[in-house]
Amino acid sequence: MSGYIFRRVLAMIPVMAIVALFVFSLLYIAPGDPAAVIAGDQASPQDVERIRQSLGLDRPFVVRFAEWAGSVLTGNLGTSMFTGLPVTELIKQRLEPTFSLMFVTLLLAILVGVPIGVVSAWKAGSWIDRLLMAVGVVGFSVPVFVVGYLLAYVFALELDWFPVQGYTPISNGLLPWLENLVLPAIALGFVYIALIARITRATMLEVLSQDYIRTARAKGLGERAVLFMHALKNAAVPIVTVIGIGVALLIGGAVVTESVFAIPGLGRLTIDAIVRRDYPVIQGVVLMFSFLYVLVNLAVDLIYTLLDPRIRY
Amino acid sequence: MTDAASARVVAAPDLPDILPPVKARRGLAGFVVRHPTMAIGLAILAVMAFVAIFAPLLGTVDPTALAPAKRTRAPSADFWFGSDAFGRDIYSRVLYGARVSLLVGFAVAALASFAGLVIGLLSGYIRAVDGIVMRAMDGLMSIPPILLAVALMALTRASVGNVIMSITIAEIPRVARLVRGVVLSLREQPYVEAAITTGTTTPRIILKHILPNTIAPLTVQATYICGSAMIVESILSFIGAGTPPITPSWGNIMADGRALWQVKPYIIFFPAIFLSLTVLAVNLVGDGLRDALDPRMVKRL
Repeated sequence: MSGYIFRRVLAMIPVMAIVALFVFSLLYIAPGDPAAVIAGDQASPQDVERIRQSLGLDRPFVVRFAEWAGSVLTGNLGTSMFTGLPVTELIKQRLEPTFSLMFVTLLLAILVGVPIGVVSAWKAGSWIDRLLMAVGVVGFSVPVFVVGYLLAYVFALELDWFPVQGYTPISNGLLPWLENLVLPAIALGFVYIALIARITRATMLEVLSQDYIRTARAKGLGERAVLFMHALKNAAVPIVTVIGIGVALLIGGAVVTESVFAIPGLGRLTIDAIVRRDYPVIQGVVLMFSFLYVLVNLAVDLIYTLLDPRIRY
Repeated sequence: MTDAASARVVAAPDLPDILPPVKARRGLAGFVVRHPTMAIGLAILAVMAFVAIFAPLLGTVDPTALAPAKRTRAPSADFWFGSDAFGRDIYSRVLYGARVSLLVGFAVAALASFAGLVIGLLSGYIRAVDGIVMRAMDGLMSIPPILLAVALMALTRASVGNVIMSITIAEIPRVARLVRGVVLSLREQPYVEAAITTGTTTPRIILKHILPNTIAPLTVQATYICGSAMIVESILSFIGAGTPPITPSWGNIMADGRALWQVKPYIIFFPAIFLSLTVLAVNLVGDGLRDALDPRMVKRL
């Protein structure tokens, strides 16, 4: 087991290296010359050249990449071109709201998506199955911010059940924290729920047609035990896979959802950085989210071995 | 004698009553009955394409014309869908917006499918290419697609062409993976081995024996990419990293309505309806194609 984990972690390195190379190229080919910006309008070409040399911008791509990668490994993502603050510091300030939103959404999506898929597979072909799957197709078709505005309009503005926008840190209490996250989480989770429900249904359909399910029913087990203890357990691997893949949806969607619900998280940081063309910040956020995504998929691979002891690559 | 023999052979000239002949309906009606989801999807898409092509003839005005005196009007006889914060007619903007969204959706689907197909075919069939290309694809896939598109858009000027390029690059790895998977399972097939044995050249095997079998799953994937590209375009425009703000795209109209959504929700509502309906239509066509081509693919996609 530990050997397997070690090999999987090792396999992460080339992937992260490619991501890092890509993200670095982003800054490298970014329009605008940092040396010219620092030198100001009055500077002579000689001054700009001097600053360029002092910043090391005249050295070859490979050297600069190696140096940058080294500083990233020590946790230094550079400084924001706009605020002058370290990018790591900016990201750290915004982590809590974004991770809170993603965590609540993930929980909600699994708790809603999996049962929907199970029921659909169990009642395959019935009106409830058709209805659930139709809602699923709609879920894939509506952009996350439209769902967000719709929910905010109905449940916050018209019915006044939830706060319209904003975020309360978890240190102010669990309930206010959750209250602010309910609508964003539903909005962000909509596609995710549809995705999980769809894959759960498909795998459950396959598992339910197998002999041991008939055996379980024949020996008199209740439907609930058959569905959740026997079938779902064996359908778990594809479901966990899609939950891992779906984290990409979650990350992309969080950027947008935060803007709809005015949550001061990484998404807002990203959007502000795009508007100001603050490349080090964009770079830092992309790198951080990609690292998170790779980690999630590593976790998924490790969960496989717990769910299905036969899996040993 | 021959007459008698042939008469004896035909024992049951007519089908028995318990097996009435299946009436195979032909033409449009038959297609609608056999593939209802695809028919609905195609119908909606046809309407959207009509709207996009004939937008100038459908009672629209210049979608970029500013009218400061007529800002944020509610929907009325003059402004069917109301007007936005700059006094632009939302009905006209939404109708012209169909052009941008459909163009982005179909262009991305076509470009990403083609590039992904080429990469997938090469890396699936030629072992030497496989390792490097697939690691590069793994790397690209590790960056969430929307963030990748955002990062690429941050590098370039806002234009429809750049939006198409950015979303295409973000979608290519998924297509390449799908095609590679199909190719890997095909290359072990006896008929491919037979072709190798008879001395068929590698390019010919790829083109004649492998390529045709990748078309079905690729078509289904392309429709889903088309739908997701339209959504990504709207998201990019919505967060200010998409088409230039003056371009009437559905994402841009919604971005304009962002500041006013609490008081003038219709600015977001109308483009949202059009976008969602179009993406829904594309997804319905995709689902229909998938079921028609291969029911087992439900799990893979």
